[in-house]
Amino acid sequence: MTNCPECDATVENHGMVLGEVFPCPDCGTELEVLENAPFTVQPAPKEAEDWGE
Amino acid sequence: MSDGVRLGVFYTIVRPEEKAILAAAESRGVAVVRLDDAGVTFGLEPPPGLPDVVVNRSVSHTRGLYAVHCYAHYGVPTVNSPAVVELAGDKVLCSLRLAGRGIPTPRTVVALSPEAAMVAIDRIGYPAVLKPAVGSWGRLMAKVDNPEDAEQILEHKSALSSPIHSVFYVQEFVPKPQRDLRAFVVGGEVVAAMYRRSTEWRTNAARGGSVAPAPLTPELVELSLRAAEAVGGGVLAVDLMESPSGLVVHEVNPTPEFKALAGATGADIAGRIVDYAVGVARR
Repeated sequence: MTNCPECDATVENHGMVLGEVFPCPDCGTELEVLENAPFTVQPAPKEAEDWGE
Repeated sequence: MSDGVRLGVFYTIVRPEEKAILAAAESRGVAVVRLDDAGVTFGLEPPPGLPDVVVNRSVSHTRGLYAVHCYAHYGVPTVNSPAVVELAGDKVLCSLRLAGRGIPTPRTVVALSPEAAMVAIDRIGYPAVLKPAVGSWGRLMAKVDNPEDAEQILEHKSALSSPIHSVFYVQEFVPKPQRDLRAFVVGGEVVAAMYRRSTEWRTNAARGGSVAPAPLTPELVELSLRAAEAVGGGVLAVDLMESPSGLVVHEVNPTPEFKALAGATGADIAGRIVDYAVGVARR
């Protein structure tokens, strides 16, 4: 487990893969898995103007 | 089955779609080379260890476009090809191609200045829809109901610094039922389709609209395949509206999301993408 860089809540890894984006269960900030061992997260990249399908 | 094909997945973030593609590759014994679009660099000579094919899943049109050009330069085929990404990723170019191939599409007028955009909106008539030429998820789209709205929206767009907002893509507002259609094309086949419903005029699933499976009617299949072929083919999501005169294609998406579609229809879209990419690598 690790902590949310925004709200410091405990965040657990439930089978997430490198690069996966998920919301912090406490504050809802989108987090990105940076490393699996040790489990490390960072705020996910912010949506840019050219993002899309 | 994979014959040792190494599949590159070029991505920004790993969403459910990318996770499903990674899992589908693993279940098929296809080796994956993960290519984080924020970390890769491209020289002019092919680097060692290139994959046999690259699936572009970058959410950034700009990054994806440059990347597929670089991989093509190295001799690595991409899904989709640079020409398809370039064309389908730009609404102006896509509309020109659809119209050029005789595919029913909403009336569209393009302008390159705010003053000309007023003329373009007048030519389309009210209500009109103003869209950015690049980008999706319904972001920064505006329904323009009257000249006063038009002036205000154009003033706001003019204040945005990005050059993309100096291109004004104006489209007729199509009176449709409170839904549109998305057909997912892989190669020469429509693998699934869904309705996207919303009480709002924008029906993008990303904006919270609900989804339901749609029957693959001959008209839907024929038009979707024609639209996909028109932009060069590959893995594409064709968005259509039910206009009073029949189906019209309003977008063809070259790096489509499919979580909602797979959930609504049960289709193994990730598996189909991997199988298609392996086939591209073998060509």
